[in-house]
Amino acid sequence: MQQFLDQLNAQVPLEGYLVVAAIMFAIGAWGALIRRNAVVVFMCVELMINAVNLTLVAFADFLPGAGGAGASYAVLVIAIAAAEVAVGLAIVLAIFRTRRTVNIDEVDSLRG
Amino acid sequence: MTVAFAFLTGMTLVSALGVVLSRSVVHSALFMSGAFLGIAGFFVMLNAPALAAFQVLIYVGAVTVVILFGIMFTQRPQVRRFRTIINRQIWPGFFAAAGVGAFLCYILVGESWEGAEPGNGARSVAVLGRSLLGAGEGVEIFSLLFEAASVLLLVALVAAIAISRRKDEEEASR
Repeated sequence: MQQFLDQLNAQVPLEGYLVVAAIMFAIGAWGALIRRNAVVVFMCVELMINAVNLTLVAFADFLPGAGGAGASYAVLVIAIAAAEVAVGLAIVLAIFRTRRTVNIDEVDSLRG
Repeated sequence: MTVAFAFLTGMTLVSALGVVLSRSVVHSALFMSGAFLGIAGFFVMLNAPALAAFQVLIYVGAVTVVILFGIMFTQRPQVRRFRTIINRQIWPGFFAAAGVGAFLCYILVGESWEGAEPGNGARSVAVLGRSLLGAGEGVEIFSLLFEAASVLLLVALVAAIAISRRKDEEEASR
C-alpha cells in the first residue's frame, strides 16, 4: 500500500513529457494532412506548435546544462504563433470573400 | 504527480483527437482550447507557472477567440457528413503521421538522458524575465530575439489589417 502511494507521488521522468508531446505533434500533423477546412488546418498547426513548446519547456526543466533557456524560447514561439494565426486568418477571410469557400482542395487557381 | 500527469495526458490527447475528428468546426475550436489548457497544466508541472499564465491568456483566450471569429465569418451551413470534412487521404495521412510520431518516440525514448532531473528551470518570473531580455547569465541572443519578435508582431498586425480590408465595398460606398 505504501509502495503504491509512493509510486503515485513519484516524479514523472523526462521521457513521459517527450512522448506525450510527440504523440500530440503526430495528431496535429494528421489533422493538417486530412482536414478540408482551412481554419481547422490552422488549429492543427497550433496543436503542433504547442507540442513543440511542451518539449522545449520539458528540456528547460530537466536538463541541467540548458540554463532554463527553453522557457524563453517558448515565450518567443508563443508570440510568433499568435502573429501567424492573425495573418493566416486574414488570408482565409480574403480567400473567402473572393471564392466563397474555405475548403483548401477547392482553392486551386495556382494549379498548372 | 503521476495522477496529475495521467489526467493531463488524457485531457490533452483526447482534445487533440477531438480537434481532428469532430464534425462541427466550432466543436473543433473548443476541443483545441481544451488541449491548450492541458498543455498549461503540463507547464505548471514543469515549474514554469509564468508560461502557464501566458498559455492561458494568449492561447485559451486570444487565439481561440480569433479562430472563433474566423469560423463565424467563413462558415456556410453545410452538410456535416464525415466524408465532407475529410479529404481522401485519411489513411495515408494517418500512416504518415503515425510514422512521424513513432519515429519521434523511438528517438526520444532511446536517447539516454544522463543527469536529467526536474527543477533546473527558471521557476520565478524575475529569472524568466531577465533571461528573456538577455540580461541574465547564459544565453545573450534573447535581447536580439525579443526585439525581432516585437517588430514581427507589428508587421503581422499591419499585414492582417491590410489583407483583410474589404476594398470593393469601400469603393462602392464612395
